Amino acid sequence: MAQIGFDRRRINGPEESFAVIFEDNEEDPSKWKAGMARVGRLPLAIRPIFLQPGLIEQANGSAFIETGKTKIAVAIYGPRQSKNIAFHDKGRLNVEVKFAPFSCQKRRAPIRDAEDRSIAMAIHQAILPSVRLETMPKSVVDIFVTILEADGIEGCVAVGSVAASAALVDAGIEVYGLVASTSAAVNGDELWLDPSNEEAAQSKGTLVLSSMPALNKITSVWQNGEMLPDQVLAAVDICEKQCVEIHTVVAEKLRETHSL
Amino acid sequence: MTSPQTLSQEDQEGLKASVFQRLHPRAYLERFVAEGYRPDGRSFSSWRDVSVNVGSISTANGSALVRIGNTTVVCGVKAEVAEPELDCDTKGFLVPNLDLPALCSPRFKPGPPSDEAQVLSARLNEAIVASGVLPLESLCIHPRKSVWTLYVDAICINYDGNAFDAALLAMILALKNTRLPKAQYDEQTGRTLCSRTETDGLSIQRIPFAVSFGIFDSSHILADPSSFEEPLLDGTLTVILDEHADILSASQIGVGSSTQDALSTCISQAKQHHAAVFKSIYT
Repeated sequence: MAQIGFDRRRINGPEESFAVIFEDNEEDPSKWKAGMARVGRLPLAIRPIFLQPGLIEQANGSAFIETGKTKIAVAIYGPRQSKNIAFHDKGRLNVEVKFAPFSCQKRRAPIRDAEDRSIAMAIHQAILPSVRLETMPKSVVDIFVTILEADGIEGCVAVGSVAASAALVDAGIEVYGLVASTSAAVNGDELWLDPSNEEAAQSKGTLVLSSMPALNKITSVWQNGEMLPDQVLAAVDICEKQCVEIHTVVAEKLRETHSL
Repeated sequence: MTSPQTLSQEDQEGLKASVFQRLHPRAYLERFVAEGYRPDGRSFSSWRDVSVNVGSISTANGSALVRIGNTTVVCGVKAEVAEPELDCDTKGFLVPNLDLPALCSPRFKPGPPSDEAQVLSARLNEAIVASGVLPLESLCIHPRKSVWTLYVDAICINYDGNAFDAALLAMILALKNTRLPKAQYDEQTGRTLCSRTETDGLSIQRIPFAVSFGIFDSSHILADPSSFEEPLLDGTLTVILDEHADILSASQIGVGSSTQDALSTCISQAKQHHAAVFKSIYT
């Protein structure tokens, strides 16, 4: 009998297993609920970013980024020969995102799903305008993103883009500018920057903005859910300002690592 | 393009060496070995530094990060509830897997597990099951109805050789770090409910510790081979010791050494290494 999720190339568990169900009567009363003020952070505060470029020795460039609980490793391989025989006078950028099976509250079976791809697309869009692909015909640049721990999909896209851009620079690939990215969510009447998983789930709508602050250009805006036009504009404005700060931190870190 | 004349003498020598390493890896390694050293400056029997970090991933029930030199492996344990097999109705499941993603080395391609990952996963499964790390009966919640399934997933994020030792260490540390919520099977509803606050550790019976060696040129034993050395080796020898440094298993893959006492040399070296690092890791 064909089993769902059975793969001869892996060690397999039972046919079916289920995530843990908790007794719901003992929910923590101090837990944050929708409509309450933000706990632990100011509305416009982001989680502190820790970035370490060049951790993966084998890769041409790499970066590890940690913000709050989110932990993401990015490696760049390339520019290398495109396996496709077709001639391209521009290089191609290939982004692959992989969730570790233990990265989310519920275990992720090691199969690629729609979420992996949509995050890969979003990161691809965010960094594509920054890369000088015309300088590397016939080649492909592979960007592999592994999410070790996720706390909010919006955060993963934003932080993943920042790490990918830093890793590109670490690999010595020509870019027009560093890409910085951050997310915002509408909770009640307030705009909260860099929402966690829970905050994003409770919010009406979210927005992820990626930009190249050095060139004062926006590379991608990804808006989800229900937001008033004014809120969108306000969110874009706030995110853009935050991106400038993220850019400074990333640029400083890269300068520090590469001047040694 | 920079012309070779603009490089300093030292840079030119360095460039020559790296080109030589790239084009003739075997001759490159042979020259080092002839002098009694390895390309990264180690002697034959010396190990790279081992460092561990436990419990850094909050979405997992237990987790560990292990570094052996540059090789980095992250392991997370996720517990789920399943129905036991009919023929062993009190046994839970322990499912160890190692993933070598395309991220960790240019040798690996994205997609399904590579041959190497499959072999390593099978060996890890064997090492963990055969040494009786965790009695599967201890994962029983209610006989015939509900047991724990522990998915032990290790991911290599930086591959610099000897992934087996690093992965086994990460898996065992993650299992030791694992805490399962107190679970109760409700016969009326047929559901397993867990407590949010109360948790239990696992009853780990044994702590296997793997020590791998590479055999180069059928006469040299290189401890803890790096990713540069690995493809040039004739064979690898892995000794697995338990917490008292007793041998749990010894396995050899590929051609062995021409000298008879290779295995006993490896075992004695493994015991030395065990004595040197085991205590500092498991304290």
